[in-house]
Amino acid sequence: MAVCHGRCVIGFLDHSTNNIIIDAVLTDVGRSFLARNDGSFSIVKFALGDDEVDYSIIQKFGRTVGKEKIEKNTPIFEAQTNSNLALKHRLISISNPNLVRIPNLTLSGDGLDSALTTLSLSRTGVGARRSLTVTQALANENTVDVELRDQAFLVKVPNNFIQISGTTPDNIDSDNIATYVLTRDQSTTAIGGSKVVIELQVKAVTDAQFLVFGDASDKTNISSVVTVSGINSGATKDFNVQISKT
Amino acid sequence: MATFKEISAADIKTSRSSLNQLVDIVQEDVSGSTTRRKYEVFVTGGVGPGVTSSLFQTVYDQDFSLQTANPIFDMTVGLYSSGSTALTASSGQDSSGKLLFPSNSLMMREKIDIYKQYSQTLLGNSDNAFYAPFGSATTSNRIDNAFFMSYRRLFARDKIKRETFAMRFYQSASLGETNHDTNGHNIGETSISGSAIFTDIGAAANKRSTFGGEVGDLVDSANTSRKVGLIFYDHGTVVLDLAKVISGSQHISGSVSGMSAGSFQGAGPGNVIIGGIKGDDPNATFIPGLMVSGSVDNILDHLASTRFQSGTLTGMTFQNQTHINSTLVFCRATADEFNYSSNPTYTDSDNKIRVIDDGQEDTQRGFAFPTTVGLYDANDNLLAVAKMSRPIEKNDEKDITIRVRLDF
Repeated sequence: MAVCHGRCVIGFLDHSTNNIIIDAVLTDVGRSFLARNDGSFSIVKFALGDDEVDYSIIQKFGRTVGKEKIEKNTPIFEAQTNSNLALKHRLISISNPNLVRIPNLTLSGDGLDSALTTLSLSRTGVGARRSLTVTQALANENTVDVELRDQAFLVKVPNNFIQISGTTPDNIDSDNIATYVLTRDQSTTAIGGSKVVIELQVKAVTDAQFLVFGDASDKTNISSVVTVSGINSGATKDFNVQISKT
Repeated sequence: MATFKEISAADIKTSRSSLNQLVDIVQEDVSGSTTRRKYEVFVTGGVGPGVTSSLFQTVYDQDFSLQTANPIFDMTVGLYSSGSTALTASSGQDSSGKLLFPSNSLMMREKIDIYKQYSQTLLGNSDNAFYAPFGSATTSNRIDNAFFMSYRRLFARDKIKRETFAMRFYQSASLGETNHDTNGHNIGETSISGSAIFTDIGAAANKRSTFGGEVGDLVDSANTSRKVGLIFYDHGTVVLDLAKVISGSQHISGSVSGMSAGSFQGAGPGNVIIGGIKGDDPNATFIPGLMVSGSVDNILDHLASTRFQSGTLTGMTFQNQTHINSTLVFCRATADEFNYSSNPTYTDSDNKIRVIDDGQEDTQRGFAFPTTVGLYDANDNLLAVAKMSRPIEKNDEKDITIRVRLDF
């Protein structure tokens, strides 16, 4: 059993038979759209994901043994109903048969720590607003494949505390996660990678919210996570945000 | 888009199937006082403290005060307004048509109203009577004293499956043979004889429908020509003819609710003695005695606590039926699709695809191991998610079709 984000407990699926079992559930968003009864529940496309798979096994054991290890030794979690967690890493369709490198997303901007994994924000002052740039990066390559150039980015932020200035969320789910769809900047990197500037702004967070949502060890600090994903490449970048009371 | 694929209308199909679940209700759940919930909404004034009673009781699968308890079925009793029990007890009616009853009877109008309510819902006319077998017009087949059990939707689901219902019932009362001179209270004594199985055997070959949906006859399993009641499958309701499922002519004795200010022979205020040498009517019988003099709670308490016994045997059983409407979504990935991944482990720190060996870039192609199918709307909202029990290799020599079934 595994526990995800302290909210839902998920188990593994039985993989002891040769049959492939499909465990399907509606997500919270799906149920919400069904309840609206306005036709908003309309499935029009699908994506495949591989969240449980560790491809470094292929590198460690070689293609033949590695594949077998992944197929037989990777227990799969039950379907998750939280739409923010259910499918993180999508598979990609690329027509270029010679592709050997895939871009990832990198962060830059004020307030990031040296590892570029944590963004510091404050309730007031200069630190209440940070400008972050998310860029498609590709090492040792002269161009990003055209099919992998993201035309837009999905940004998921904790709506209780943070907003993206100058735009409104496309959706706010039952967990108060706001999803913004941001079109890429006109300019690209030298190798054609897309980028987008995200203006994160701290909302009016009250003292009471710090008491409730603050870190257990430090109630003057709220920690949360922001996720950025490229629409075309499927690449995701999660980073921590820490909002300080002062 | 490189990570999504459109689903055509031809790839979405709908189907309908049904699911059966076996429901077992143990005797103790029916007879136990903690598993049987009362709703004392009926209150009468008059002599003494008055009488309070439920109009029905609910049987739970455990102590009903616990949050985890599930209601299994509701039960109540009713009298046919033109039946012998009601007519014999009635002293006439007033100018507005209201039936009048003497003071030694209790809740007679309520019992009649309950019968009418079931008649209206199941037969389409509140003045109609239930007959077992269904469709009979013979007076001896008319159910004048009805015992109703309505199974909750949690257990009956969409309907009760035909020819799966059975219940164990004890027809004979304890100490019911004479107007015994003991302290006289067989009203609460567990029955130990006359065990019978009432079942809807034969109903699958004799399908009938009425105003209240599909209906079948309940018979005594030891003598299937003996019809003892009806079962309404869609409604999840059983109607038993009390005159046939208990020995109504047996004597009853004990304390029932009544208009009494003082204590009498062990019965406190608000209670009266029925039957036995201490009662006004030492020859009182279950029918009509208890049906007329007892409150709904008195009658239900007797039936539930004594006629089902209180062991761990199955008291009732049936199979329910749930209709499942399914949407089948066929997710087809052709050879050239979904062969790469955005999984962070798919590439190394130099963005190089890990599944392609160094130096083999010109001969090896990427592959991926999907484990999850996400179904999205036009705005990229994830509406449903499906998981495979193990990863499947997807490469440029393989096309796969994943059939995702969504049940509603």
